[in-house]
Amino acid sequence: MFAKEMLKQSLPLLIFCGFGGIVAGSTLGVMIEILQNIPGLIVVIPAIIALRGNINTAFGSRLGSAYHLGIIDAENMCNNELKQNIIGSLVLSFLISIIIGILAYVTTVLFFDIHPNPLKIILIVLLAGVISAIILTLMTIVIIFIVFKRGYDPDNITGPALSTFGDIVTIFCIFGSAILVEVVI
Amino acid sequence: MIYNWKKIVRFGLPLLTLCIFIEIFAGQMLNLGQKTLVAFPIFLISIPVINGVGGNIGSILGARLASGLHVGYISLNIKDNKMQENLITAILMGIITYSILAILIYYIVSFGGIQMDIGLIEFISVILGTGILLVCIVSLVSVFTAFWSFKKGLDPDDIVAPVVTTIGDILGIMLLFLFIGAVII
Repeated sequence: MFAKEMLKQSLPLLIFCGFGGIVAGSTLGVMIEILQNIPGLIVVIPAIIALRGNINTAFGSRLGSAYHLGIIDAENMCNNELKQNIIGSLVLSFLISIIIGILAYVTTVLFFDIHPNPLKIILIVLLAGVISAIILTLMTIVIIFIVFKRGYDPDNITGPALSTFGDIVTIFCIFGSAILVEVVI
Repeated sequence: MIYNWKKIVRFGLPLLTLCIFIEIFAGQMLNLGQKTLVAFPIFLISIPVINGVGGNIGSILGARLASGLHVGYISLNIKDNKMQENLITAILMGIITYSILAILIYYIVSFGGIQMDIGLIEFISVILGTGILLVCIVSLVSVFTAFWSFKKGLDPDDIVAPVVTTIGDILGIMLLFLFIGAVII
């Protein structure tokens, strides 16, 4: 009985998320040349995807709890509670992005004796981390707003929606930042 | 006011930094296997799918166990029937999802005109081998983490998802290279 219910509710969602994964993966496939041209860039990809996933799922689930507590609703979204949450997510993204860049550089030098340009790597991660944070924060707010309006429980929707779009947006941001930094520096 | 951005940053920073440390090693594994990924881009495209599905199944199982433990219909016992039923369903769901997505990826990539020096059967055996082993390990980690955190008086809802997705990412990439090595080379 448990098994049937779990299969019915989760399997379609899993396959849908898998589609998102294919889109994200295809973007990586297109990036193959730039990944070869910038040594060390491939190292940051799992970390930056995980950073995005962790920060935004937490953001979404805090907004869900705030909704259940009655702190925010569709008519009263842009208040100080939401602002504090947004600032918190952005500051975390900024700090962790710098840590990812430094770690990627140091481990690449240590393990492979390859010397990537540290400024390039850190700048790409920072740009991708902050831009994807802004895009996904806005997306979370829009999703939550629609969910509120319809009267659904945000806890059931934001998690899978964010993890699916999150990967795609993040990989696009890494791609864009890499091209930008490659051109500028 | 309930939320404060400084608090969000202070609580988020340690766990995220730990996650990022582990994810950087996942990235270095990609770095190590970059030649294989360039020779077979189809596997680069599959990485977000493999990791995404593994992480999702572990998180779903963790959330279900957490609810069961909180409400009391699952007991802290390795022989608990409901827990075992959830565990087996999670693994079954993984096998179904990976089979469907493996076939989909293969045909999408071949229609996309990307070079492929690998047959359908070989590709499916790599993805299914990786996927089944990954889902088994991730599900066991999920049960262990849920039980352990509940026993310690912590909320499994806060702990299982980040633990499972981080371990899943590094294991997914490791197993993928292992199976590529076993099947193709």
